[in-house]
Amino acid sequence: MKPLILLIEDDAQIRRFLRAALDAEGYRLQETVTAEEGLAQAASRQPDLILLDLGLPDRDGLEVIQKVREWGKIPILVLSARGQEKDKIAALDLGADDYVAKPFAVGELLARIRAALRRSIARADGTGPVMRFGPVEVDLEKRVVRVDAQEVHLTPNEYKLLQVLIQHAGKVLTQRQLLNEVWGPQHTEQAQYLRVYIAQLRRKLERNPARPKYLQTEPGVGYRLVPEE
Amino acid sequence: MIYLGGVVAVAMRCSRWISVTVSFLSVAAFDFFCVPPYLTFAVSDYQYVFTFTGMLVVALVISTQTARLRDHAVHSAVREARTEALYRLSSKLAGETRVFEAARAAAALAEEVFGARVVMFLPEDGKLSFRRRTSDLLPVPPSEESIAQWVFDHGHKAGLRTDAHSDATALYLPLRGARETFGVLAVLPDPQNRIFAPEQQHLLEVFAGQTALAIERTLSQRSAEETRVHMRTEQMRSSLLSAMSHDLRTPLASITGAASTLRSQGDRLPPETKRELLESISDESDRLSRLVGNLLDMTRFESGGVELRRDLYPLEEIVGTVLHRMEPQLVGRAVSTGLAENLPSEDLPIMVFVDDVLLGQVLWNLLENAAKYTPPGSPLELAAFKQEDAVVIEVRDRGPGVPPGEEERIFEKFYRGQSRKVPENVRGAGLGLPICRAIVQAHRGTIQALAREGGGTIFRIALPIESA
Repeated sequence: MKPLILLIEDDAQIRRFLRAALDAEGYRLQETVTAEEGLAQAASRQPDLILLDLGLPDRDGLEVIQKVREWGKIPILVLSARGQEKDKIAALDLGADDYVAKPFAVGELLARIRAALRRSIARADGTGPVMRFGPVEVDLEKRVVRVDAQEVHLTPNEYKLLQVLIQHAGKVLTQRQLLNEVWGPQHTEQAQYLRVYIAQLRRKLERNPARPKYLQTEPGVGYRLVPEE
Repeated sequence: MIYLGGVVAVAMRCSRWISVTVSFLSVAAFDFFCVPPYLTFAVSDYQYVFTFTGMLVVALVISTQTARLRDHAVHSAVREARTEALYRLSSKLAGETRVFEAARAAAALAEEVFGARVVMFLPEDGKLSFRRRTSDLLPVPPSEESIAQWVFDHGHKAGLRTDAHSDATALYLPLRGARETFGVLAVLPDPQNRIFAPEQQHLLEVFAGQTALAIERTLSQRSAEETRVHMRTEQMRSSLLSAMSHDLRTPLASITGAASTLRSQGDRLPPETKRELLESISDESDRLSRLVGNLLDMTRFESGGVELRRDLYPLEEIVGTVLHRMEPQLVGRAVSTGLAENLPSEDLPIMVFVDDVLLGQVLWNLLENAAKYTPPGSPLELAAFKQEDAVVIEVRDRGPGVPPGEEERIFEKFYRGQSRKVPENVRGAGLGLPICRAIVQAHRGTIQALAREGGGTIFRIALPIESA
């Protein structure tokens, strides 16, 4: 059966072209206009993914994320306005999986939807023991990292950081989330550490650390490991 | 003849009446000593009567002429002093652009020229005030402020030795220009009362008039400057309007046109044409989106609504993000990055204390410009190096370069001088660089465009090194 997507968006024009695009990709679609309606549909129909606009007429979109996360792990993809990094971070910290800034091209949105669906299936299966992207090969069982078949030495924190990024491959992780997972909840304000560690990881894994292919920055928000290629 | 010489000598030194008397005396003396019978005034030969008359006439003429010559000399000396004083006044006032400073300079010069105490009073909110005076001391009693006010209101002099308020301690003269009175000059009599000589009185009035004219000129210059500023603001507003209406309407027109063509004739169009129309809708939407974004950013900056969220970032992270986002526009170009040109490569990356999103936007705008205004395929360089007190970031291209003399102007809003040769559809609204400058300045840095050796442009950003 084709995946079911729940769309919570109040703008009729945006619903119109999303309907066309998602139909063409073969997804089943449930459209809702308000947060209230969206929450009801999410609980009753258990969609495979939620597409959520943050600017809803009846309630803050962030509340929807919170409510959904109280009972389930359905991937949530947020549609946000340009330049509102605060909202993006808040949405991600509350448990949204990804965001797309308006105006966006449909191609980008579809790629994000595919990635999010893939992750939720992979999560059910558990990650395989070896992760590969480009010249990099990470053996998660033996804790060995190779670039171009050459073993690369990572410090324990560097490895931990890479491991967290691999666990959430393709997903944006906010600085707070990464700091929390690698260094613990008491270090969530020390974003500079994180940036220096990311810079070091890039030096060890990327061909050109100034033009990273895999360890990408989401400016003002966080980082994302893009394993494609 | 000797007697006549004496007459001339006397006439040169003394007044006309003395020289006339001396003329008579010299004739009498000649009669007494040189005409027989000697030592009496009696004359034996009355032929001498003609001699005496002749001598007297000559002596009188000489003495009168000599005295006139002398007066003339004194006169020209006075006139010269007056001309000099006025010349000094006008040269002192010529360069003065502030009203109060002009009055102060004139008052100081007047004290020197007239040898008397001079103060000028200027109005405050349209009313003459003793508080706005050119000297710290107030040499006249405060009670005379009303006299000064009367002089200011009526434009006539008053005070000592005039028709009005002749019991005052000072003489008050209006500083009258062509259209109005700008203040009041008060002069206290000098010990010899020379100030009341008609010559000095006249000079004093000319002095006051000149000062008033200088103040008038200063004020009109200032209002001309205000008019210029106002005109520039108006110009900006109208260029904003024209940029808005043109730059927003052009893509909208393409989108509307393409979309309506597809709707009404879609069935009959060859697939190739359909694809082109769709592409143009998509491209023009992107352009519109960028324009609106730039306009919003600029408006936010101008209204002071931008809060910097600064933190320490590795510069390469900001650069990397921008290059990643720009990839589609940079296809086919060699983009080299040297982010620590003067540091050994194994060192830690250069850290900058910035708002990462905003600095990223600066680099994005610069690279986007480079992609637009330089030939396709020409190389770009992104470089950074550390100076003693600043981190310098440079975007270097091999394009046509910024025309000489426009290096500053390209950072002005809506300035599009350099885009003359650029096709209509790649033009922006002339906001990219102004936004860059606003962002860099908010970080207390500088941004400039430099001509590059061997052709091209370097955009150089210098950010002061600050601790976190």
